[in-house]
Amino acid sequence: MCGRNVPRAVSKVSQSRRKAGVPTANIEESQAVEAAMANVPWAEVCEKFQAALTLSRVELQKNPEKEPYKSKYSARALLEEVKALLGPAPEDEDERPEAEDGPGAGDHALGLPAEVVEPEGPVAQRAVRLAVIEFHLGVNHIDTEELSAGEEHLVKCLRLLRRYRLSHDCISLYIQAQNNLGILWSEREEIETAQAYLESSEALYTQYMKEVGCPPLDPTERFLPEEEKLTEQERSKRFEKVYTHNLYYLAQVYQHLEMFEKAAHYCHSTLKRQLEHNAYHPIEWAINAATLSQFYINKLCFMEARHCLSAANVIFGQTGKISATEDTPEAEGEVPELYHQRKGEIARCWIKYCLTLMQNAQLSMQDNIGELDLDKQSELRALRKKELDEEESIRKKAVQFGTGELCDAISAVEEKVSYLRPLDFEEARELFLLGQHYVFEAKEFFQIDGYVTDHIEVVQDHSALFKVLAFFETDMERRCKMHKRRIAMLEPLTVDLNPQYYLLVNRQIQFEIAHAYYDMMDLKVAIADRLRDPDSHIVKKINNLNKSALKYYQLFLDSLRDPNKVFPEHIGEDVLRPAMLAKFRVARLYGKIITADPKKELENLATSLEHYKFIVDYCEKHPEAAQEIEVELELSKEMVSLLPTKMERFRTKMALT
Amino acid sequence: RVAVRVRPLSKRETKEGGRIIVEVDGKVAKIRNLKVDSRPDGFGDSREKVMAFGFDYCYWSVNPEDPQYASQDVVFQDLGMEVLSGVAKGYNICLFAYGQTGSGKTYTMLGPPASVGLTPRICEGLFIREKDCASLPSSCRIKVSFLEIYNERVRDLLKQSGQKKPYTLRVREHPEMGPYVQGLSQHVVTNYKQVIQLLEEGIANRITAATHVHEASSRSHAIFTIHYTQAILENNLPSEMASKINLVDLAGSERADPSYCKDRITEGANINKSLVTLGIVISTLAQNSQVFSSCQSLNSSVSNGGDSGILSSPSGTSSGGAPSRRQSYIPYRDSVLTWLLKDS
Repeated sequence: MCGRNVPRAVSKVSQSRRKAGVPTANIEESQAVEAAMANVPWAEVCEKFQAALTLSRVELQKNPEKEPYKSKYSARALLEEVKALLGPAPEDEDERPEAEDGPGAGDHALGLPAEVVEPEGPVAQRAVRLAVIEFHLGVNHIDTEELSAGEEHLVKCLRLLRRYRLSHDCISLYIQAQNNLGILWSEREEIETAQAYLESSEALYTQYMKEVGCPPLDPTERFLPEEEKLTEQERSKRFEKVYTHNLYYLAQVYQHLEMFEKAAHYCHSTLKRQLEHNAYHPIEWAINAATLSQFYINKLCFMEARHCLSAANVIFGQTGKISATEDTPEAEGEVPELYHQRKGEIARCWIKYCLTLMQNAQLSMQDNIGELDLDKQSELRALRKKELDEEESIRKKAVQFGTGELCDAISAVEEKVSYLRPLDFEEARELFLLGQHYVFEAKEFFQIDGYVTDHIEVVQDHSALFKVLAFFETDMERRCKMHKRRIAMLEPLTVDLNPQYYLLVNRQIQFEIAHAYYDMMDLKVAIADRLRDPDSHIVKKINNLNKSALKYYQLFLDSLRDPNKVFPEHIGEDVLRPAMLAKFRVARLYGKIITADPKKELENLATSLEHYKFIVDYCEKHPEAAQEIEVELELSKEMVSLLPTKMERFRTKMALT
Repeated sequence: RVAVRVRPLSKRETKEGGRIIVEVDGKVAKIRNLKVDSRPDGFGDSREKVMAFGFDYCYWSVNPEDPQYASQDVVFQDLGMEVLSGVAKGYNICLFAYGQTGSGKTYTMLGPPASVGLTPRICEGLFIREKDCASLPSSCRIKVSFLEIYNERVRDLLKQSGQKKPYTLRVREHPEMGPYVQGLSQHVVTNYKQVIQLLEEGIANRITAATHVHEASSRSHAIFTIHYTQAILENNLPSEMASKINLVDLAGSERADPSYCKDRITEGANINKSLVTLGIVISTLAQNSQVFSSCQSLNSSVSNGGDSGILSSPSGTSSGGAPSRRQSYIPYRDSVLTWLLKDS
């Protein structure tokens, strides 16, 4: 039971071990202190303190422009007055060397207390009150960018409270002081020191909740009259808020220390606590969860990603449709816009989930020419059972959002989406359809007029969805159709875009279209090979696809030319590999044009050779290029040596006929 | 290119006995740290520390009598002329002024009538050039616009409106026109005087608006844009070349109210106090975790070897492996400012 402190009274013994905090100081001192306490004009103290707090909260913008800290200085003066009124700080009974105040003094200073010590008696009470003032003075100095002074006050605060830090009266203040010191040290770029303080706070909270548990006193209550003291509920709320911030600060520290998984875990916990304590804005929370899912996607942790995304959906759904208010004309259209924007953004996060999961599956099942490897597929199928068995244990370890109803709602969304890599067309198709659904949703907001770059990225994702689905499709005609869909959605984009503003995007699209035609052509060739008599119809188709692919590769290569239409001597690093690849494929395409006319064939071979030669020559002059396209360079060198012979044979044959 | 300019001590600073701790030596600016480390067990001692920083240009503008003194003209000859030559070739240029309130940004960018700064000089340069190419009919067209960004809201500083309340504009991307501010007024100018007039008008609008809303003008950014269109001959066919000069006066960079959360990811190891910045922290995590950081490069859409387009493995160890497409999408958190200046 946590009774409020009554000076000198013997507290009720609770489950935890507690010791009366009456110091063993001599009787004279405590009598003197009592006398001093009696002289303290309590009402004045409280009044000044509240006034100081009010001043501290005055926004800096409200101060005169040349004196942004005016209100802070006034607050400080008041706090100093209160401090003076409270009298001198009690002496430490056990003299500890100063070095132990700093965290660097070893684990002792930041270590966990062995037991709960309540601050009882006038000396202890005064220490605690002074600690509150020191805390506020510390924060005040930090706010006015006087870090050293701020540190001094905060350290003093900790020193005054150390004995009682696990007590119901003092823990909240102690943790807050430590947290502020953590932030202070982070500003000095001594991140390990910050980490030490913050981790100490975290451990202290955990210990307190385990051993004591009841909602502790909030520091602001210390200078409030009895009637204004807070309810247990409010105390709990504030204390939990302190801890949530603690976790948030730790997340940032771990991020700076590049302990990214841990940072993500702490961000995840922060989000979770926001939900638990109902301290969140649905739209804001949802977009944060969706963003966190992207971290998990990058780490290929699809279960966690799915959980975040599902939670994002559920919480986002908690926002009612917000209608524009009439009295704020400039806000009109803004708030609903944010709602729609976030909706579109969450949709895009989902698209990436589906796409990455599918692509990940492709990666693990493809052979060396990018086709589905049946052996690998069966291997993964066998693995599947094991994955499903492990599911429960993984789920238990992960941070789960919400309890009860919320948990159920999130599960309902999760159940409709797989987090496992798809192993066949059916499973891939499910993810594809979900991804496509979100493509349409994303496009609702990210329309081309207004959001060109975003719109195009969404279309590119859509195209990528088709591309990866094609990998799972076994029927070649159907695969062709998928590539055709891709081209259909990408081609219009090249027409509308101004190449001056959207150069990079244009190039990306041209390249992708060219490659889609290229793939289609290869597929048609494979289909034709299977037919007993490939007719002229399919040959025409193949050549047309070839021509289209050439057209777009050429467009892409032309975009690299300077304003005088000269192809650069030295191709920039960022376009080097694509440029080389484009040349390579153009060479190959020319070699694949089907024609009955031997003269034409010879011409094509010559052009093909020219392009292979370009690659070989360029790589010789620019060795860095050779590194970019090792495989293609090898093949190009081969062709450069083989083609002339072939062409010669052709010429001979032509001469004979 | 980055340039640094040192201003003279202000009256208040001289009165308070301030010392100049900056020194310029060629392309290096040095700062002396006079603070004695106050930590009892401090690692530092009372020795003065000198920190040196390298720039493309260092301007010493402390004392006009000093032979080293960099006047407005000197700054213009270096930076302004570069802008003009770039613009003539059709490039878009962006010029930022960055520094604390009172550090002299406005002096450098605008300057008093007696010694005008970069913006008026650049405009003058454009008009001089136009006179030179007057041989061609209607050879150049110059339009200006002036906007202000405060708290992610965009305002037209040259808008003729009777409205008291600031009217915010939307920033959009057009397939043909690129990124633009919808509804931002553009004013054709034919001479230097008109430009100065519009500049002053816009600045006046800034200040009055600031007093209205009780915010210090030191927290808004202003962008003065000059749209410069030239008629050129391309393959003997008449054509137009359009370029833009963005002159950006960034808000005072001093840290303001700590409870006013910074909307940008902080450099360095500062911890953000308010939970409102949770989104930024998560965004940074997600961004850093992307396997390939070259999200904007063309390489990200290119797949590696073999005849069919396949994706390289995330570890990128496959021979000649090109980075695969960006795996994740980071919801838009950047400030309006960077987005608007994307095409520069």
